[in-house]
Amino acid sequence: MKKIFNYLKYIFSSTPPEEPLDPEELKVSFKRRYGNFRSLLTANNNALQAMAELEKIYYSGDSYRMATIRSKVTTILVNVYKMVRNLREMADGRYQDLETIFEQIGHDLVAILEQKPARHEGPFILPLAEIGRGQRSQTGEKMANLGEVAAIPGLMVPAGFVVTASATGHFLTTTLLDEINRRLQILDPDDLDRLFQTCEEIKKIVRESPLPRDLEELLHVHYGRLEKLTHAGVKVAMRSSAIGEDSAGVSFAGLYRSVLHIDKESLATAYKEVIAGKYGTKAVAYRRKRGYRHEDIEMCVGCMTMIDALVSGVTYSSDPSGDENETIRINAVSGLATSVVDGTRPTDLYLVSRVKPHTLVYSEIRQDRDNSANPHAAPSTLTYGQLKKLAETAMTLEQHFAAPQDIEWSFDHQGRLFILQSRSIPFHHRQIAEQPKEITDGGDGGEEPILFGGICASKGIVCGEVMRIDSVTQLQSFPQGAVLLVEHPLPEWAPLLGRAAALIAGHGSEAGHLATVAREFAIPALLNLPEALTTLGNGQTITVNAAARAIYSGCREDLLRAREVKKDIMAGSPVQRLVTETLQHITPLNLSDPASHQFKSKWCETLHDITRFCHEKSVTEMFNFGEKHHFHEGAAKRLVGKVPLEWWVIDLADGFQEGADVSGSTVRVEEIVSVPMQAIWRGISAFPWEGPPRVSMRGFGAIIFQSAMRPDLDPAVASNLTTKNYFLISKNFCNLSVRLGYHYAMIEAYLSDLLTENYVTFRFKGGAADMRRKAVRAKLLAEILESFDFRIELRSDALLARIKKRPRGFLEERLQILGYLTLHARQLDMVMDDPHMVERYKQKFLTDIAEMLARRDPLIQGEAGNGEEQQSVAG
Amino acid sequence: MREFNVLVVDDEQEFLDITVKRLEKRGLKVQGAESGEKALQILLHSSTDVVLLDVKMPGIDGIETLRRIRSMKPLTEVVLLTGHASVDSGIEGMKLGAFDYLMKPIELEPLLEKLADAYEKKRLHQEKIEQAEIKRNMSKPA
Repeated sequence: MKKIFNYLKYIFSSTPPEEPLDPEELKVSFKRRYGNFRSLLTANNNALQAMAELEKIYYSGDSYRMATIRSKVTTILVNVYKMVRNLREMADGRYQDLETIFEQIGHDLVAILEQKPARHEGPFILPLAEIGRGQRSQTGEKMANLGEVAAIPGLMVPAGFVVTASATGHFLTTTLLDEINRRLQILDPDDLDRLFQTCEEIKKIVRESPLPRDLEELLHVHYGRLEKLTHAGVKVAMRSSAIGEDSAGVSFAGLYRSVLHIDKESLATAYKEVIAGKYGTKAVAYRRKRGYRHEDIEMCVGCMTMIDALVSGVTYSSDPSGDENETIRINAVSGLATSVVDGTRPTDLYLVSRVKPHTLVYSEIRQDRDNSANPHAAPSTLTYGQLKKLAETAMTLEQHFAAPQDIEWSFDHQGRLFILQSRSIPFHHRQIAEQPKEITDGGDGGEEPILFGGICASKGIVCGEVMRIDSVTQLQSFPQGAVLLVEHPLPEWAPLLGRAAALIAGHGSEAGHLATVAREFAIPALLNLPEALTTLGNGQTITVNAAARAIYSGCREDLLRAREVKKDIMAGSPVQRLVTETLQHITPLNLSDPASHQFKSKWCETLHDITRFCHEKSVTEMFNFGEKHHFHEGAAKRLVGKVPLEWWVIDLADGFQEGADVSGSTVRVEEIVSVPMQAIWRGISAFPWEGPPRVSMRGFGAIIFQSAMRPDLDPAVASNLTTKNYFLISKNFCNLSVRLGYHYAMIEAYLSDLLTENYVTFRFKGGAADMRRKAVRAKLLAEILESFDFRIELRSDALLARIKKRPRGFLEERLQILGYLTLHARQLDMVMDDPHMVERYKQKFLTDIAEMLARRDPLIQGEAGNGEEQQSVAG
Repeated sequence: MREFNVLVVDDEQEFLDITVKRLEKRGLKVQGAESGEKALQILLHSSTDVVLLDVKMPGIDGIETLRRIRSMKPLTEVVLLTGHASVDSGIEGMKLGAFDYLMKPIELEPLLEKLADAYEKKRLHQEKIEQAEIKRNMSKPA
């Protein structure tokens, strides 16, 4: 017994022999290994699924939340770690470096995702006159700009100061923020009632938290200074000035609170009210939508003396609604400017030329002149002098900030112009939005799609010529810009995606490796569309609209024109930047080819690499079970009954029929309930063995030669080797080692109802006869197996054929084929000199296999006999 | 399903009660603890196979509880369950040897399956240790 395993080792591996295990130990060892394998496969699926979801969220153009990202990344990390752990347990602790790599990636991801903005250290209050853009990380954008304005000769701003971010940090303690963030985190983004309620609760928490004593005292000191600059009891306005809103394209307009007419007593209350404004319903919802974490925004508060305003308004230095951007737009209203901003009262509109002398181009006086509420005070309108002053100011500010400005201002009763705010108009607001065309199937008189359905794994519309690829040898011939058509989206095809216009596959899902790569290359991918394999032909020109899951004949210009890049509303946001960085550590796949020299644990750079590596190696470890384990002879039972040759069976778990008497040293075929073994056995026993073919003199000479070189191959010396064949079985598992004549074959399979676990593997090696003829035989087997959907690796005379993730019945048929071939292909190499013979054998095998598969199981025949047109359950 | 002992640890009383009740209904022997401290006490005097452990709890949190369980009862399998996934607690939990890290809400069936898998792992681990013991005893000279 030991001899056979030493021999197998000799062929396949170099690990030193282990101590033989008794039957019980063997069972436990198998169960543990299988438990790990199963768990690894599940973890692999979960990790890939979560990666696909993460990418889908990222590329969707829709908004997403940090909590969602965090939970997806955690799912990925946890499952990848499980894979590493399972693999290491299967491999007796090898692959230590995977832990190190995982640790590094995990560390990087934590740094990206769990980083907290640094606490601000600095003065709690800064006078407006002392600040500029350099202080904006302390004062917020708005107040920093206003500080700049104050320093421009000829321009005036109200006297004031800023309560800084350091003060906010002093007021909102970490404990308080943790509680606030906890409440926000558990909030369902779509539950508007809860959103409103939660925001109210949070604002209440902020309002009711006491202001630190020192901060309140400082507020009063600085208010006292304002009194000195103006007059005693001066009223002030408190306005929000947020930090972190400076990304291009995001306006944050009108989200926060301003509190007007504040006296000394209500300073603290008003301050807290503005701070609480960060958690207004609108503000919270907007940040979520646009990809800002709450901690990305820090609220500072500007405090300015109230201007006794005669007329106030808003100026756009470049009219955003104008076609040519040649005019300055001014909206004005009597009194304070708030009603311009919030749009509650009608305002007068003036369009003034941007160039000197700023002539009035257009005006529309809309304020109600017969204001019944205040009949004596006719609403104030702007004089030409005031318009000119506003226009000059607008151009000055635009020049200073080097961008069109949105300016809030007031003229007081003395006719002095005060600037209350000046900010750059977000770039995209200056552009006229183009409306994307609706995409309709067969619109514009076009034809209906020739194919419809499948799974969209990556969106897009392209046109190209179909090129089907079935084997790695065809890779070189794939032309730039063709539509790649494959049966299965295997990682092997990844190198083509840089050249392909689109990917279409008969099978697969959005969670596969190739789907990920398609998204990375941003090429449309339509998967799981089996009809494509029969409908589409090489060279055919088609248009693919992946999102609509439709394929059209010819080049559909109308569809191609209609494609429009969707505006990504998260673009440039902190959360998007974060996810971009995060994905770099997760999804890129560097390890695609298991045969490559770089397919090593140390080359894993991303979590995707680790999953790929672990998956590949776990399969190898699982397949090695039979090769690596020794067992006592007593563990094996001889198969008895009407069986050719000598077969031994070792039960690893529930492989024998319940209640069967297996206490002896034999077992009957009927007593075996192992599904894969039964399938193999059907193949082995399908046809009687006709014995070795007649050997030509040349072939015989080669055998003698080999036997002389390797005494262990001499049939006379190693007679026991030629007869004993072992099945290791459980209900769903079978590993068959066959040593027939001079060659070694191994079939291993796991069959269950869970597709992802299912696999069949076949190895074939050795044999008498010289290397050239062995290779011919291995090639013949490879060709036959390839025609039955096996993936083939052929190196000289060593053949590895694999098939996985297929339905149980389908794999049972494959096992039958393998059983048949194992028995009948033996010693075939004796006749391999003759090409005609090779072809003859191949045809005979194929005919036999077809006949064998057409035979029906008596049980199934019974069912089919009831008038049902069933092919076979197995099919 | 084979019957085994589960300890559910969660500071949210409502969740704890419902989970204990549901698992019991499915034939498991279940105990509940509303804190990490309580859980450790129960573990000292019981033969728990699998612990279902909340991560965020006042007092000693889930990760610390897990650390102590690992040193106190290394054979007991721990499944972490959390309402707020965080990347670092996920990594740390797994490295400390948690069987899995699950996120709320989770339905009963997948939860049961996880607990059963964890139990199976524990059982095989134990079996292997016992076999090794027997082998060692057998090889001792009489």
